[in-house]
Amino acid sequence: MINLDCDDLFDTWRQQARWLLSHEIDPSLVSWAAEGVGDLFASDHPVPEGQGPFQARIPRALLDTLENAARYRGDQRWSLLYEVLWRVSHGDRTAMMAGDKLGSELQRRIKQVSREAHHLHAFVRFIERPKALPGPQYVAWHEPAHDILHSASEHFIGRMGRHRWLIATPRDGVYYDGEQLIHERRCPPEWQQLAQNVDDPHGDLWLTYYSHIFNPARLNPKVMQGHLPVRFWKNLPEGELIPQLITQARMGKQQDGQASGISTRAGKRIALKGVERSG
Amino acid sequence: MQIIDKLSILADAAKYDASCASSGAPKRSSEGKSGLGSTDGMGICHSYTPDGRCVSLLKILLTNFCLYDCQYCVNRRSSDVPRARFTPEEVVTLTLDFYRRNCVSGLFLSSGIIRSADYTMEQLVRVAKLLRKEHEFRGYIHLKTIPDADPALIAEAGRYADRLSVNIELPTDASLQTLAPEKNIGSIKQAMQTIYTGEQTVLNEPRAPKFAPAGQSTQLIVGADDTDDSTILHGAQALYGNFRLRRVYYSAFSPIPDSPKSVPLAAPPLMREHRLYQADFLLRRYGYSADELLKGPGNLALDIDPKLAWALQNREVFPLDLNRAEASLIARIPGIGLRTTERLVELRRQRRIRYEDVARMRCVLAKAKPFIITSDYHPQQAEVTSHLLYQQLRDRPAPQQMGLWG
Repeated sequence: MINLDCDDLFDTWRQQARWLLSHEIDPSLVSWAAEGVGDLFASDHPVPEGQGPFQARIPRALLDTLENAARYRGDQRWSLLYEVLWRVSHGDRTAMMAGDKLGSELQRRIKQVSREAHHLHAFVRFIERPKALPGPQYVAWHEPAHDILHSASEHFIGRMGRHRWLIATPRDGVYYDGEQLIHERRCPPEWQQLAQNVDDPHGDLWLTYYSHIFNPARLNPKVMQGHLPVRFWKNLPEGELIPQLITQARMGKQQDGQASGISTRAGKRIALKGVERSG
Repeated sequence: MQIIDKLSILADAAKYDASCASSGAPKRSSEGKSGLGSTDGMGICHSYTPDGRCVSLLKILLTNFCLYDCQYCVNRRSSDVPRARFTPEEVVTLTLDFYRRNCVSGLFLSSGIIRSADYTMEQLVRVAKLLRKEHEFRGYIHLKTIPDADPALIAEAGRYADRLSVNIELPTDASLQTLAPEKNIGSIKQAMQTIYTGEQTVLNEPRAPKFAPAGQSTQLIVGADDTDDSTILHGAQALYGNFRLRRVYYSAFSPIPDSPKSVPLAAPPLMREHRLYQADFLLRRYGYSADELLKGPGNLALDIDPKLAWALQNREVFPLDLNRAEASLIARIPGIGLRTTERLVELRRQRRIRYEDVARMRCVLAKAKPFIITSDYHPQQAEVTSHLLYQQLRDRPAPQQMGLWG
């Protein structure tokens, strides 16, 4: 076995894979260490030095595909990619396709990664810090399941304009200072504190909206959970409302769509003349 | 009244509109610019409420004061609901606040009719204009269009909004006359025509200011009257054809408090709404015609999806050889979607398709099985009658527990 460690960096893996491929080292003879266990397995296979004779032509599109799939955190994160690279460079393009056993796993990983990037775009919640403070104006805490933060957070540069914002996670973090995006592979503890200990004095507006746009007569928690996995609830302000809204809707027997807070307020029928008054 | 109280009333009043899409806008970015917001054509669902619906936009009414008396509507003038009215500035503040929080991708603004159609439309346009001009907001804006409003106002709305929509509300003229006496189909279609003309005018003019680049949509309410699915689908097909609508939304009538006698007390099954959406998708994306899905009068089956229903009625087309059949026909196999069709075509360029390849592609194999041939598989069920297949493949809904009080 040849055991390698790429420190979960795609570029490092790419150098290693290119070298392995040039020596035509079969995927079954290589493994990449999971984080922190690199020293457990010593390589017991003679390791050739320098570049080998085999010259593979690797299309750019394949590299992009592999880089994308490399953001997936999971077993055989890197060795699966080498196997795909091996097969395609030996003329078997089905290794990238969903109909193939390996290809379908590759495609599944890519899908998970792009789903997780989409989850970042959707479920990050920025909270505004007091205006006078230096540093980020908006901070968010997010817990992505895959290594998508750096690439996917570029989305917020277009969205937030010149505002300064920060997204901290348990692993890495990003800070946009109004001009450039700074990515830290290990999120500085001060960033994590900023994101986790921020006051939100006006958070109730959004919670009010969320409660009232929900139609209790159409209760369908299963569909909701399919789109909004439970693991995100704890970092969403509306997350703690969800169980009670479901319970209330069940107790209210789902008769009509109105929220209970509305039906208890005084109503107003409108006569056809003299309606021009604001609420 | 505090803004938070208004928000609770005017969000509650807006929830019956099904659309919350933020897709189809052109690429806009605020990178390095003052102002806020971006769009890239893809919508984002920022949250989901426990009814399973996506929250993509801040969807509110400017006011739920309304002169009209549409029987199915919670905000009709004879309804005893609390009323409120936002100022345009308040809507702007809320939109920007939610947007910065990343809770929404924009605004979907509608309104009850106050004073006149023109006045109401003016107020809606004013909000969009404030957002775009004063605040350089580049997020998504969807404005409801008031049917009788001056075409000049609709044209102005089209310059600020990504999407405009005019609700057709009820599927037939007769129902509109009975249940929404102040509305009429003529002015609704006139407004759609105005929007369509606006879109066409800038179509091949890259320098012209954009006009509702995410197109127009409409909504109709299902189950408030006794119109059948066939009429609804043929109506939708005509709207897609005549006005190039992007979407028709079907909203199952939701019972409202203090319901008038003219509308039902109970909601139609949500499954009916779901089947209409499936059929609508077949019209828009798969190239089915309304006649293929429902020839005569009647409703879509609730226990099988419309694609399976079509396949069972057209058995002579099947089984299809996945290694030979045209892509457009493969997409008509129950349980195989457009994405899987693409993947099958991609794969068969490399090698013959086997049964296990199909199994790996995340299609609904149980549904597809009787209708496909691969290099190593021929369906035993090919000779089974459609009626038997129907019995095997129909959905059996889990038994519903009765409510405690009957």
